[in-house]
Amino acid sequence: MSPLVIILALGVFVAIFGIALVYVSSLLGPRQPQSQMKLTPYECGLEGERREDTKISVNFYLTAILFILFDIEIIFMYPWAVAFGDYLSAGNGVYIFAVMAVFLAIFIFGLIWEIKSKALEWE
Amino acid sequence: MGQDVFEITINAVKMVAIFLLMVQLVPVLVWVERRGSAFIQNRFGPNRVGPLGLTQLLADAVKFLFKEEYIPNGANRLLFYGAPVMALVPGALAFGSLPLSMPIKIEPFSISILGMSIATTKAYTFAFQSFDIGIGIVFVLGVSSLGAYALLMAGWSSNNKYSLYGALRASAQMISYELALGLSLVGVLLLYNTFTFSEMINLQQGPLTINVMGAVKEISFLPNWGIFFQPLGAIILFSAMFAETNRLPFDLPEAEAELVAGYHTAYGGLKMLMFYIGEYGHMLVASGLMVTFYFGGYNLPLIDSAQVVEHFVGHGLSANAAAVMGALALFVVFLAKVLVFLWIFIWVRWSLPRFRYDQLMDLGWKTMLPWALANTIVTAVVILVLRNKWVH
Amino acid sequence: MENSLLFYVLSTLIVLFSFGMLVAANPVFSALFLALTMVGLAGLFFHLEAYFIAGVQLIVYAGAVMVLFVMVLMLFDLKKEIAPFSRGTLAGFVKLVCAGALFGLIIGAAKHSTEMMMITPEQAASQSGYAVEMKALATLLFTKYLLAFEVLGVLLLLIAVGVVAVSRAKGGTHVRS
Repeated sequence: MSPLVIILALGVFVAIFGIALVYVSSLLGPRQPQSQMKLTPYECGLEGERREDTKISVNFYLTAILFILFDIEIIFMYPWAVAFGDYLSAGNGVYIFAVMAVFLAIFIFGLIWEIKSKALEWE
Repeated sequence: MGQDVFEITINAVKMVAIFLLMVQLVPVLVWVERRGSAFIQNRFGPNRVGPLGLTQLLADAVKFLFKEEYIPNGANRLLFYGAPVMALVPGALAFGSLPLSMPIKIEPFSISILGMSIATTKAYTFAFQSFDIGIGIVFVLGVSSLGAYALLMAGWSSNNKYSLYGALRASAQMISYELALGLSLVGVLLLYNTFTFSEMINLQQGPLTINVMGAVKEISFLPNWGIFFQPLGAIILFSAMFAETNRLPFDLPEAEAELVAGYHTAYGGLKMLMFYIGEYGHMLVASGLMVTFYFGGYNLPLIDSAQVVEHFVGHGLSANAAAVMGALALFVVFLAKVLVFLWIFIWVRWSLPRFRYDQLMDLGWKTMLPWALANTIVTAVVILVLRNKWVH
Repeated sequence: MENSLLFYVLSTLIVLFSFGMLVAANPVFSALFLALTMVGLAGLFFHLEAYFIAGVQLIVYAGAVMVLFVMVLMLFDLKKEIAPFSRGTLAGFVKLVCAGALFGLIIGAAKHSTEMMMITPEQAASQSGYAVEMKALATLLFTKYLLAFEVLGVLLLLIAVGVVAVSRAKGGTHVRS
């Protein structure tokens, strides 16, 4: 039996389980007529401000994009690491090491540049 | 056809049982967390309801069930209700791919009633996991990176700036530490040259074996565990796991002094509990990964899994019964190892203070990522020098 | 039977999700639909026994779509700007052109790539699924496409530099200080 079938089945099962929990709790919980004040978005005792005023730091975006770039580079190390043993026993260890050494040098340069450029500073 | 029905039944039962195991461990962990924190802080903790406060969990569950249904004005209903469901899925999928014990090999045996043989079963191997997937590590990484969506959905749909900030912080922190985590795994891959969990566990059997230029040196009193080859990688992986699970000292998304309760500010009752199940599920997976990569998986130190089965055969059990008993015994070993790591999670939470947000990001990008890189390079160089076939 | 059924289920889901992404008025929903599409694609790769690619699809694209999500949250004043973003003749035209260009690019690439990663039947028989795929991938990546692989590293570095530069720029109504 393909693991994919089991994975999909497990995902569906968990989703149904979760939906059932949410549904049951909505059936059992009391629903008193709630005051309008209670339904407003949470704020610490003050009247809530409009959400449109919420500003989000550009740093979150920067972090996210830098994450993808580094993540792709790290993903490329996985096949390399798994194939490393084969190349070693075939006597080609130095070659495969050199291949990744060049790639890693670019990676490290990028990381140092990011740190030096203060792109990762949070205030 | 009979075989098909049999397979579907077995797989469905395993799938549900392992998921329920994960869900059932959550109340136990909550109890351990409360009693443990009380122990650390020299308090009593919940001790009124039942022996040692154990039935407090039941009381809590009933309380959660009967909580008022609440959805804030202007919230997006679909995502608001969908987020807690989404929080459950990644942990459950990742946990299903971990091998919890050794596979049970059942030899063919005949079923007989009153001395008459009516059927003979076929040989079958039960894997002690929901599904055995070759690319174990990559699958677990991929699935757990989906976990951030539950937080973003919850944070955005609550129509509340604390929730939104909490969700953004959580996702930024999770992806930052995922880099260090993913990079520290390269060392593990270099060591075992495989993605498959069960192969890694098999490679960690027996005494510590060091291969220096073809000369094999054995240290008979230590197990052949990954921790002796990858100590730095293990530390980086475990620390990054704290950030991935959003627990102290990395629980900035829930920093109550700044953000009330972070992304689940607007949630209550069972829906909040589901976020907790997701968090504890992540912790379980993290502990399971630590055990599998660095601490020999389900195996006892220095004892092969085959020897465990032989031990049960020596006690007069049939081969099939011994295989089942052996697998159950090793499952207990796995659980014990995982519980040690879960206890460390709880212990750290109640011992360390929270970081400031910029310190947290600095630690991830400027400390742990470079160290993980160094770990990778050193591992590769050492393995190259020691294992390369220098002369053709 | 089981195999083709699974394929049809997955591809139907993918088409539905991507259609949802196109028609959703709210950019947040578009991003979520895109994430679902990516997960569906990972399932499809998995079904084709390209296990590693399936995992990479999950890791990289799940992260990539999250970036979109964050960008959507950051750039759009969601209550007001939904309509101008997703309606209008010009926007629709641009979307159609982009979709067409991308489609053509993919079809062209698929037609022109005659050499695919071939796994011989002997290899497939001797080892279990993913090990074969990994070794074939590693061999191709680190020998034949070595130059492309190293250049990719430089390209990623350039993108990183560009992103930082763009996020620093104070254009438009802001005066550069």
